[in-house]
Amino acid sequence: MSAVQQLFSILLNGLQLGAIFALLGIGLTIILGTMNFLNLAHGALYLIGAYAGMLIMRVITLRTGLLMDLGIQNLGLGWGFVIALFLVPLVGFVVGVLMERLVAKPFYKRPHTDQLLVTFGLALIVEELVKQVIGGNTFQSQAPDTLLGLQVSGPISLPIVGGFPRWRLVIILIAFIVIALTWLFMEKTDWGLIVKAGTLDSEMVSLLGIRIDRSYALVFGLGAALAAFAGLIGTTFETVRPQIGTQRALVPAFLVLVVGGAGSVRGAIVGGIVLGTVLAGFQQSYAQWADIAMYALVALVLIFRPQGIFGSVEVEE
Amino acid sequence: MSENGSLLAVEDVNAYYGESHILRGLSLEVESGEICALLGRNGAGKTTTVRSIAGATPPVVRSGSIHFRGKDLTDVPPDDRSIGGIGLVPEERRVFSNLTVEENLHMADVSRNKSNLIRRNIENPAETVDVNVIYEAFPRLDERRDQLAGTLSGGEQQMLAIARALRQGPDLLMLDEPYEGLAPQIVEDVEDAIDRINNEGTTILLIEQNAIAAMAISDRCYVIDQGEVVFEGPSDELKADEEIRQQYLGV
Ligand SMILES: Nc1ncnc2c1ncn2[C@@H]1O[C@H](COP(=O)(O)OP(=O)(O)OP(=O)(O)O)[C@@H](O)[C@H]1O
Ligand SMILES: [Mg+2]
Repeated sequence: MSAVQQLFSILLNGLQLGAIFALLGIGLTIILGTMNFLNLAHGALYLIGAYAGMLIMRVITLRTGLLMDLGIQNLGLGWGFVIALFLVPLVGFVVGVLMERLVAKPFYKRPHTDQLLVTFGLALIVEELVKQVIGGNTFQSQAPDTLLGLQVSGPISLPIVGGFPRWRLVIILIAFIVIALTWLFMEKTDWGLIVKAGTLDSEMVSLLGIRIDRSYALVFGLGAALAAFAGLIGTTFETVRPQIGTQRALVPAFLVLVVGGAGSVRGAIVGGIVLGTVLAGFQQSYAQWADIAMYALVALVLIFRPQGIFGSVEVEE
Repeated sequence: MSENGSLLAVEDVNAYYGESHILRGLSLEVESGEICALLGRNGAGKTTTVRSIAGATPPVVRSGSIHFRGKDLTDVPPDDRSIGGIGLVPEERRVFSNLTVEENLHMADVSRNKSNLIRRNIENPAETVDVNVIYEAFPRLDERRDQLAGTLSGGEQQMLAIARALRQGPDLLMLDEPYEGLAPQIVEDVEDAIDRINNEGTTILLIEQNAIAAMAISDRCYVIDQGEVVFEGPSDELKADEEIRQQYLGV
């Protein structure tokens, strides 16, 4: 591979990883920005999205867990990717709204430590439930062969880069459509306006006659839907097991938050892509340094720009 | 209206920040159509009073009552109070610096969205004021519609804070130190604006550090100290009462 070739392939892989990071980061950052609520259960939403996606798309064979003990061997609907693409965000939204009403709301006025404890507890509960019920084993990733009649598997020959997995391009495309829709929602609707104003001064928003808790539930649901969607995408190219919520979602989402700045959707998008590209670059060259490089980048941002690239508030006062 | 016809009646309110007792049996009334000034030293409890009226927490009002147009506000949340006609230009302006001037002013429309009003029971929602009327009154804002509020000068931000409150069409507009940090020329502009708003029928409750200026513009004054009313009466009477002015206002 020539250097240019390598560079472009890093950029493409970076976009793909970055899009998923951004999807995770957007939810976390708007929840922190508007509600001043730190949600360690954000990864659990990714986990739920991944398992829900897998069970909607495919039929899996159980090897351990409660359901298998009850005699269920095959689980899942096998409805395919397109249906999952609509249902999984919906599942995420509903779970998110419930989470907001039942878990987050009572803790809005409490210190961040209390919020961290309760949401971390929730993350552990979700992970453990998945492990007990569906089993702790690893499921292989599976991408669809065709999408709406178009072939999406196998390699595609791109200019400069050469052969590149077709499915990865599709992921990039779908993820950026969803990100663009989210951005439009934030920029062009009154809900988005409430969220932006609420990030700055939620009390002032309510002093202007707006019942901001309603937007809270919506924002939480939206953030959760994006995380669940990221989980669905994840199942098509990465293995699925109960620990992915924390490892592959929560940690990157927080890194994105630090880099992009709390409360900034634009920051989450840019931060996600920057982190994704750095990670992809190291994965292709010095794979064993990839994680370290990512943390180093975050540390640099924390030292030189603690409010993040686009943030107006520091993550912790 | 309450028995005696006041627009706003605060009665024997005790308000707390945590365990500290800030308003101590405070009572005041604002009559429809007047400009009423609320004066007192730093820390006297002026901001605490307007926050209690607007329904912002903290402070927590533990006892006493606040009636607006005769309706008890005890269980009315701040957003309903706003739509019900209580407007606030808060201390330090608090415009949304990350939104444009236009978006700041659009919040009034957002507050009247169906999705915002659904399942809420607001008896007499105030009618919003058309944004063009506002721009006509504040041409400086008109010229800066698409500018982020954070990039406005202090005086312009103050104008925006007033304009934003006015768009809600409040019956009672509470202004918490609207002249703070403004150049004398701008103070005059803001004073004119307040006068105009009042002439058009909005009742004003004005908090002001500068007692001389406040006495000049207002019909009636309250002076509070340590959360208690120490003077109430026509502004002319306060002008004549040197003892009160010396003791509680230092002028
Ligand atoms: N959030 C708060 N928590 C605790 N105490 C507070 C808080 N806000 C105000 N106080 C206290 O309440 C008292 C009254 O404050 P308030 O802000 O009402 O005064 P003020 O009359 O508006 O003063 P100023 O002219 O300086 O604005 C002060 O002693 C202040 O220290
Ligand atoms: Mg004050």
